[in-house]
Amino acid sequence: MPSICFYFEVHQPMRLNKFSVFNIGNKSDYSYFNKQLNKDIFLKVARKCYLPTNNLLLDLIHKYDGKFRISFSLTGTFVEFCEQFIPEVIDSFKELFKTGAVDMIEETYYHSLSSLYDDMDEFEDQVKMHRQMIKRLFNYKPKVFRNTEAIYDNRIAKKVAEMGYKGIITEGTEKILQWRSANYLYKPITTDLKVLLRNYTLSDDVGFRFSAKMWPGHPLTADKYASWMAKSQGDLINLFMDYETFGEHHWTETGIFDFLEHFPGEALKHDHLDFVTVREAIERYETVGEIDVPWAISWADADRDVSTWLGNDMQIACFNELKNIGKKIKETGDPELINTWRRLQTSDHLYYVSTKGLEDGDVHKYFSPYDGPYDGFINYMNILQDFKHKLY
Amino acid sequence: MRVAMIGWEYPPFKAGGLATHCYGLTRSLADKGIKVDFYMPKTKHATGSEKDNLNIIEVGETEIFPYDRPDNKELAGQFFEAVYRYNDLVVSKVKGNYDVIHCHDWLTMKAGIALKYKTNTPLVLTVHSTEYDRSGWLYPNQWFIDIEREGMEKADRIIAVSHFTKRVIVEKYGINPDKISVVHNAVYPIPEGHKKDIVLFLGRLTIQKGAEFFLRAAQKVKDFEPDTQFVVAGIGDMLPRLITQALDLGISDKVIFTGRLTEDEVKHIYGISSVYVMPSVSEPFGITALEAISAGTPTIASKTAGFSEAFNNCLRVDFWDTDEMANKIISLIRYKPLHMTLSKEGKREIDLFTWDRVADKTIEVYNGVK
Repeated sequence: MPSICFYFEVHQPMRLNKFSVFNIGNKSDYSYFNKQLNKDIFLKVARKCYLPTNNLLLDLIHKYDGKFRISFSLTGTFVEFCEQFIPEVIDSFKELFKTGAVDMIEETYYHSLSSLYDDMDEFEDQVKMHRQMIKRLFNYKPKVFRNTEAIYDNRIAKKVAEMGYKGIITEGTEKILQWRSANYLYKPITTDLKVLLRNYTLSDDVGFRFSAKMWPGHPLTADKYASWMAKSQGDLINLFMDYETFGEHHWTETGIFDFLEHFPGEALKHDHLDFVTVREAIERYETVGEIDVPWAISWADADRDVSTWLGNDMQIACFNELKNIGKKIKETGDPELINTWRRLQTSDHLYYVSTKGLEDGDVHKYFSPYDGPYDGFINYMNILQDFKHKLY
Repeated sequence: MRVAMIGWEYPPFKAGGLATHCYGLTRSLADKGIKVDFYMPKTKHATGSEKDNLNIIEVGETEIFPYDRPDNKELAGQFFEAVYRYNDLVVSKVKGNYDVIHCHDWLTMKAGIALKYKTNTPLVLTVHSTEYDRSGWLYPNQWFIDIEREGMEKADRIIAVSHFTKRVIVEKYGINPDKISVVHNAVYPIPEGHKKDIVLFLGRLTIQKGAEFFLRAAQKVKDFEPDTQFVVAGIGDMLPRLITQALDLGISDKVIFTGRLTEDEVKHIYGISSVYVMPSVSEPFGITALEAISAGTPTIASKTAGFSEAFNNCLRVDFWDTDEMANKIISLIRYKPLHMTLSKEGKREIDLFTWDRVADKTIEVYNGVK
């Protein structure tokens, strides 16, 4: 009997101010982060997605008496925005958590690429920051970890196990599974940990395709979707997606909220289906095999690797610049410098610099505050140069 | 299918994108089995075609002028007279038996309209630029506008070189958008040379092309990147003013005015430049941007240029925003990964801009009026 495991990534990056080469080294008090833009976007998404979806989920959990169960990961930058601009969003997440039908997932506080650095100290620091934040907000210690955009390899799995987590989330890609199904738990070859794999077909049916009129599955109704679940084999159907799927990537008019409202009821009509949180999933089910991932995978773009952030020379240059000043930054012991350095590590800044073409490019364009990857690079690199100026 | 195409310039004689377009288009049409008779004024240069399907027919004895909008009144008078004489000659020369008459811009519109009625053949008009573009939207001349509007109204189909130009045709000339097709330009790639610290402007030195903004940006770059050389290639009525401007800005030691360049010199300068800037005030397309990029030269183009709407791997600026223009020039000079990626991805994207594609789309238009 497969269990449905719904998990939502909740993240907003700190978008940058316009910063030209002429600003490098001469605007010491000028913020790198565009507070107004970030506030405007955050309030818009909160109104369209976070608040209405939280309300709906709370109602659904009550309506089905806790049988409808979900999990969240909230990034540190997201929580900072909530606390600055609209604290009732955090309150509503607390309400949800109190029901007992909601689990919280760990990750790096800054939604960064620190897991790809040469040594793992910075990664560990950022995970600990997130752990403290979850403890502070929910008085809870997560058991399951999800790295930035599900970036995963053997090394990361080992580190995460060492830090005491029992489960980790990544993409159910054929690259690592070959013929095997994503609807089971697996064990990393390097360590003792349970790996939850995203069922990308069923996840993307909602996340990407829900409002695509060209898709044969359109319109996707709750009973149709539930019937696909009912026909699925395996222990676990992992439906992992951006939380902004609801009301933001797909607007209210597409019927996404009606879909969500009716889905739990339709799923529970099938006696052999139920819902679990990520923690319950790893407590209930056993691993069925091993996965070996020497090269990092992720759930991003069609390539399902890290080329989304490190796919061209510009991205690699920025990544290295930022990474290489880490030691110096930490030596200063200046909390403001360290915080700025970490905010600049948020993976979105590199995502905007991706030059991938075709359909992925369209997705990048949708999310980017820049007129294309080259403007994204110039702005980010100018800021990195200015930041270096402050150091030397 | 037989097409009578009425042009104004054709390589090796060339003042701008019109010649480049007609050359690429006629050759690719011929390769696709369309019989093209290309009518043009007689030039001093030998022009011809080795293709069976393509005949270059020189009409009259008039030496054509290199400017499509001369400032000098005396020259202008001779120029307009030449245009009229040419149009009249074409009308008398072209005789029956074509499936389509295809003309280009105001220079050939009178002949196009007359032939449409004389031979009862559908007329296709390609708009490469309008009077609004050429005047930089400052004091456009009603005389040109009236000729252009008549041509647009009488044409059975219009090809615009960009959506930008299509909008101008609809909004300023009141033409039905349904009869306008957009066909973006193309390029024959130019070989990449050994790159030097050169930032290039290349084009007619007229108000439309915005060379003055290039010089203002150059001044801002100079203090940050003192080894960079700026090249202004081309001729035009703004040249004396631009030379004075360079002196006033204190950058005359950094700027080279090349004057008129031969075709080989043009290719060479594209090849060795590190940055190309196209700061046009109004640019229906801007084939020079494609030429520069094909030579591996990253390009900063005016946001409103037709080129910018069609091309991804370039940098865009508002032509008046010389701070941002300088920011981007300096970034291209300083940040090698930016330069490398734009150069590489740009060349890859250029492969989509072939005359073969332009010919296919043009044939679609022909089939629609036949």
